Amino acid sequence: MSRGHVRDVVRTSAGRARLAGQAVARPVLVAALAATTLAVLSGCVTATVQEVREAGTGISADEAIVVLGRKHKTRGETETDFVDCVSRQVGGEDVGVMSEQAFVDATFPWFEPRTAPLDVRDFADVIAQPLLAERIREIGVRYLVWIEGSTVRSSETGTVNCTMVSGGIPACFGFLSWENDSNYEASVWDVEHGIHVGRLSSEAVGTSFIPALVVPIPIIARVRQSACKALSDQLRAFLSSEA
Amino acid sequence: MRRKPRTVPGMAGRHPRLVHTASIVALAVALGGCGGANILVSTTVPTPLVEPIPIAVGLRFDDTMRQYVHEEDLDTFGKFRIELGSTQVPVFERVFAALFERTELVDSVETPAAHVDAIIAPSVEELQFSIPEQTRSGFFEVWIKYKIDVYRPGGELLGSWPLPAYGKSNSENLGFMDGGQGQGLNDATIWALRDAAAHVAFYFPTAPEIKALAAAAAAAEASG
Repeated sequence: MSRGHVRDVVRTSAGRARLAGQAVARPVLVAALAATTLAVLSGCVTATVQEVREAGTGISADEAIVVLGRKHKTRGETETDFVDCVSRQVGGEDVGVMSEQAFVDATFPWFEPRTAPLDVRDFADVIAQPLLAERIREIGVRYLVWIEGSTVRSSETGTVNCTMVSGGIPACFGFLSWENDSNYEASVWDVEHGIHVGRLSSEAVGTSFIPALVVPIPIIARVRQSACKALSDQLRAFLSSEA
Repeated sequence: MRRKPRTVPGMAGRHPRLVHTASIVALAVALGGCGGANILVSTTVPTPLVEPIPIAVGLRFDDTMRQYVHEEDLDTFGKFRIELGSTQVPVFERVFAALFERTELVDSVETPAAHVDAIIAPSVEELQFSIPEQTRSGFFEVWIKYKIDVYRPGGELLGSWPLPAYGKSNSENLGFMDGGQGQGLNDATIWALRDAAAHVAFYFPTAPEIKALAAAAAAAEASG
C-alpha cells in the first residue's frame, strides 16, 4: 500500500490563556469571586494532529463507524472517556457512529482484548470469517477506528499550603503547576474492503496552575479534551473526503 | 503467588442476590473505614458468534462454579471479599450452548445413560487480584484460573484444559460517585469472566479432545 500525504494541524487555545492571566492579577479582596468565575476557565493547551492516508475513504448515510479503545497492551489502556469523547464528537449528519460496547457485544468474542486482531494481516483474516463478515454487514459498520494512547502528568512544580488563620478562616498560600501530555493514535480500517486506510495521531500539551493567595484559583488545562476534539475533527474530515 | 488468599466455597448461598435493571450488578460495601471491599459479582456475556461443533455434551458445574468466594486480608489496604457465586454458571452455559450442537446439564461426570458424546466439567482452581495501591499502576486486576475437564459419559477422563482468565479496570475510569475499590474490583472481575468466555469460545474447539470428538462425530455421520 502506498503511503499518502502527511498533514499537521496545530491549535493553541491562546485566548483562554490570556483571560486566565488577567484574572490571576486581581486583588486579594475579590479573590473569592474570581475563583468562582475562573472555575470554568482553562489553561493554555497546544494540540497537534498528524494524518497518514493509505487509501481513499468515503462513507454513505447508511454506513457507520465504530471507535474502539485498544486494550491489548499488558498494562497501558486508552481511557474509556477519551474513546467515548471521540465517538461523540466524530458523529454527525455525515458520519454515523455505533457505540464501542454495542459493537464488541454484537461481534463477541472476536474483538475482546484476548482475541482482537493486532495487525493488518490478522485483521484481514478475521473479517474474512463468514459469520463475522455477515454480522458486520448486518449492523452496517463500514470503518473501525482503533485508538491507542493515554494522557499522563509529565511534570509538577510548587506547593500550596492551607491553614487556619485568625477567626478560624481557612486560607491557602503558594503556587502549584503541572503539565499534562496527551498522545493518541487512531488506526482506521475499511471493513468492506478489509484494508487499513490510514492513521491519525493527536498530541496535546497543556500546563495547569493553582495560584493561592488566601483562596486557591485553579486554572486547569483541558488537555485530554483538546486532544479529543482535534482528533475527532480530523477523523471526520478524513472519513468524509476522498484521497 | 504473592499472598495468602483464603477461599471459602459454600458461603455464597447465605447472601441475598441483588438484581438490578442492568445486566451488571455489584454490591460494594466498604469494610471498615480505611479500604477493603465486599463484592457480589453478577454479569452475563453475549452469545458467542461461532459455528457450533456437531456433538452433544453434558455440562457439570461443581461447587466452585456455583458458590465460589475469595476472601483476602491485605493488612493496611483492608479486607476483601469477592463472591463469584452462581454468576459463572449462566456465563459458561451460554458459551457452551453456542459452541456445541446440543448441551444438557448433568449431576455427575458419571452419567452413562446421558445421550451425549462427552461431559464437560469446568471448575475454579484459584483467584487472585491486585489493587492500584499495591501495584501503583492505576489498575484493578483479577486473575481467575479455571480448569475444564472432559469426560466420556461413563466417567473416564479424556483430558484437562487449563483456562486462565484476566480482567482489569482502569481506576481513571471510575467517577467520584462510583463505588471506589468495590466498583473497580467488580469491573475487573467481570472483565475476567468475559475473558474466560471469549477464551473458551475461541480456543476450546482446538483442544485435542474436542477435535477428536468432532472428528469421530463427523466420521460417524459420513458412514451413515
